[in-house]
Amino acid sequence: MGQLAQRIDGLGQKRGGKRPFLPLILFIVGIIVLLLLARAVSATDTFSETWNLGLREVLNEFKRWVVVNRNDHWLFVFFFEPLSAIIDFGLRRVEDLLLWLPWPVVVVGTFWLGERIGGLRLGLLTAVCLIPMGLAGLWAESMQTLSLMVTAVLFALALGIPVGIWTARSPRAEQLLRPVLDAMQTMPAFVYLIPVLLFFGVARVPSIIATIIYALPPIIRLTNLGIRTVPADAIEAAEAFGATERQLLRGVQLPLAMPTIMVGVNQTIMMALSIVVIAALIGAGGLGDVVLKSLRRLQVGAALEAGLAIVFMAVLLDRLSAALTHLERNSQPRFKGFRFFSEKQRHITLVRRIEAGIEAIYQACGRYANWVSGQLERVFKAGRVGQWVRRYPNGMALLFTLLLVSILMRLLGLGDFPRALRLDIRGPVDALVQWMQVNLYDIGGSGIGTGPLRDFLIISVFQPLQRFLAEQLPWTVVAFVFAFMAHMAGGWRLSLSVLSLTVLMGLLGMWPFAMDTLAQTLVAVVICVAIGIPLGIWSAHNDRVEQFIRPILDFLQTIPIFVYLVPVIMLFGTGSVAGLIASVLYSAVPVIRLTNAGIRSVDETLRESATAFGSTQRQMLTKLEIPLAFPSIMLGINQTIMMVLAMVIIAGLVGATGLGLEVYQGFANDNLGRSVEAGLAIVLLAIVIDRITQKLAEKTAVSANITL
Amino acid sequence: MSKVELHHIWKIFGPNPQYVMETLEKSASRADVLSQTGHVLAVRDVSLAVGEGEIFVVMGLSGSGKSTLVRCLSRLIEPTAGKVLINGEDVTAMDEGALRELRRHKVSMVFQRFGLFPHRRILDNVAYGLEVQGVETAVRRAKAEQVLQLVGLDGWENHFPHELSGGMQQRVGLARALAVDPEIMLCDEPFSALDPLIRRDMQNELLHLQQTLHKTIIFITHDFLEALKLGDRIAIMKDGEVVQLGTPEEIVARPVNDYVREFTRDVPRAKVLTAAAVMNPANRATAEQSVAGETTLEALIPRVLSYDGLLAVVDDSGAVIGSLDRRTVLLALAEG
Repeated sequence: MGQLAQRIDGLGQKRGGKRPFLPLILFIVGIIVLLLLARAVSATDTFSETWNLGLREVLNEFKRWVVVNRNDHWLFVFFFEPLSAIIDFGLRRVEDLLLWLPWPVVVVGTFWLGERIGGLRLGLLTAVCLIPMGLAGLWAESMQTLSLMVTAVLFALALGIPVGIWTARSPRAEQLLRPVLDAMQTMPAFVYLIPVLLFFGVARVPSIIATIIYALPPIIRLTNLGIRTVPADAIEAAEAFGATERQLLRGVQLPLAMPTIMVGVNQTIMMALSIVVIAALIGAGGLGDVVLKSLRRLQVGAALEAGLAIVFMAVLLDRLSAALTHLERNSQPRFKGFRFFSEKQRHITLVRRIEAGIEAIYQACGRYANWVSGQLERVFKAGRVGQWVRRYPNGMALLFTLLLVSILMRLLGLGDFPRALRLDIRGPVDALVQWMQVNLYDIGGSGIGTGPLRDFLIISVFQPLQRFLAEQLPWTVVAFVFAFMAHMAGGWRLSLSVLSLTVLMGLLGMWPFAMDTLAQTLVAVVICVAIGIPLGIWSAHNDRVEQFIRPILDFLQTIPIFVYLVPVIMLFGTGSVAGLIASVLYSAVPVIRLTNAGIRSVDETLRESATAFGSTQRQMLTKLEIPLAFPSIMLGINQTIMMVLAMVIIAGLVGATGLGLEVYQGFANDNLGRSVEAGLAIVLLAIVIDRITQKLAEKTAVSANITL
Repeated sequence: MSKVELHHIWKIFGPNPQYVMETLEKSASRADVLSQTGHVLAVRDVSLAVGEGEIFVVMGLSGSGKSTLVRCLSRLIEPTAGKVLINGEDVTAMDEGALRELRRHKVSMVFQRFGLFPHRRILDNVAYGLEVQGVETAVRRAKAEQVLQLVGLDGWENHFPHELSGGMQQRVGLARALAVDPEIMLCDEPFSALDPLIRRDMQNELLHLQQTLHKTIIFITHDFLEALKLGDRIAIMKDGEVVQLGTPEEIVARPVNDYVREFTRDVPRAKVLTAAAVMNPANRATAEQSVAGETTLEALIPRVLSYDGLLAVVDDSGAVIGSLDRRTVLLALAEG
């Protein structure tokens, strides 16, 4: 009861705060002063081009030096080259294997893996996800992307798990690494490609390196978290029995941290997938390359095929690795009555028959595996293989069978996905796009359609806003607004650092481009929030709505960022508007989720007392639910902003103007310095926006007495 | 020689315990230390000796420092000052390797919340101590099965801890401690988390096991009756200090202060007190009838009811060690 009262008090105080008008007055006065100043002194109006760090020249010079010295400088001979060689070796082996394996073997192998981890349903789902890649004629490209993924993820885990363990045991290491990881997670994926270009040039190895680095933070964080949250009594027991540090780690801490580490593996895989696709820009090949090339040639059908293949791969990898996080420990296998259907459907005869059939197949497979492993045991009596066969009879039987089938199929020349099984998506989609371009562009000449909408957004929203931010508004005012918000959110120190970061953005020579990106971000965020908050509130109040949108949100979060652009381009063509629509689709998810979660977490007793005092639905919402859910909503907005920023940058690939396009054109025109400058500006903008919104969320949480 | 000896053990928790230890006024109370230095005085100057094959109970309420004290024994918690001797060897001076050997072979532990490893099957939980010793798989599993049988859990080898009831889980904990065949067992409130009936079963089981195993057991509890039932000797702790140390009947018969007396109030005195504990040791005159010193009052009552005179109390050898009569017995029962 005391706590309850305290929370209500907290809410009251926020309203009543001391001298609420003073900051507002200061704010207005500051802006007026700066506007007047801009009239008098032109340097405070437009960011002077002469104020430039000149980073571009230095970087281009450095790149020329790298090109000249690549073959004989020690840094390359003894560090970068061997590193490249190792990664290249790993990648080639994986790729050779995956491309050599006949497609049915890959499908069956994946099915088996899924079945082992999560039962028949997961097995079927994963196997079914593979088929469309072949149907679209993209089997080889899919296997290439998968090889890149496997290699990058394996390296990331090999690096990330030990680092995670290290940070869990050494507080100093954690202090050191935490800000680095924070910064790494703030940066949009795009930016990771730039530095590797400097040292590794364009090819597949640098894409893998960029992927490894990008995908590292979650596995480090979650390994750390997992080990830190191992119950203290288990550790004490192990110590009491005289376990060494090593025994403690391997026998107790790691196994108990495994579910959490697996969450990290899942996140790492998904992050790796999102960047592997973008890495096509620097020559990663695979599916991303197909999307990129098709988009450049405006072959939307082909891009959509590859995009769908990526989506299927994302679903496959996500569900497979997510299943690893809830493996259970039981002595008896869980009730295995029905493998495919739900127990609730037992009364249906057909369901029972099908299940009986499935059971029969399982039995047959079991008998076959027994027979094979028996034979294998006879052949490999002693030695390693014999031991493995005894330990994993089923697995070894399957492995042996698959190997045999692979060799047989390759000898017969049957391993490739048959051309006859080609499902033409491209043709109909291209036709559809053409139809849409003709018919939806301006429906019946009524002024309603995608064309007018696009024109409206560009002419009436983007351009004026961009012109307003970049040209009409003095740069000092923009910087002042940022600094002021930072001060409100986190005090003087945050304000100063935000101010200096903002100025640095100008010093990089990227002011107008940054303002362009900012304008697009603002528009997208406003739309996201306008859609997301009502949707979140609605789904918090209506279970059926939540059940309906939850899988959709899950699915939207599985798709790699890049793929969003494909269907949008079908409707709106290339440019900033496509970027905007894609941003909204991609980024509205967290604000919906966290609004929903925030309102749902409002204490039932508080709701009850509000009802007892006779609140209407509306009063309940405005006076209780939204104030209490506000910190959660702010967090959602923070995440949404960061995602919008990432998407607006990626949209540079399809011609959206701003910093993304600058980076991309730097790649294309062999002007690395420009890419780096734009990339740095992206990072600065991201950090500025992230810190302000995050601090704001924390502050509202504190003042409402809520822990996030 | 005693099996385990503690000499002036102190434990202070806080940022700089060593400094507090040096500057501490030896008479300062726990509250003083906390308010003046922000350090928690968990154990204050405890000295005691435990004999071989003895069940030694440390009894105290929560926060009395009993768990900390017992952890100082195998240095799971590092004592701030003082010395621990096990078999005459100075544990406090051991390096990490020697300490690990001690924990692996000589001292094992049973925990209040069982401390079982949730990811290991019962058999592998029990074999854990042997596993860290480096005993090979077949041998340690055989030994573990044997110990599981001893505690009545054969057939549960391949289950996971969460599939067992609390009582069964603690049997596993007991089996795990016994599997390494330790000389000393530290039991940190092992039965506190169990239901009363199960607790009684486990107490009987422990006594039963002890009859054949003869381990040196240091047993912690906050339950005075449990202490009386199990302990050969009991140390009662309050605020980090041992306030009284003695056999169950000594404590029940002669509590040193009100704090201890408070515990003895609910005790069924007739069952605990013996002739030797209530007799008048000064009067060693021979009498016509005599009783053995270890006779409980419960058994003595019919005797004094039927006989009005003075009874001599004799020890094992038949020597007279004191005397009692009906009045002595009634007074002893009425006290407390």
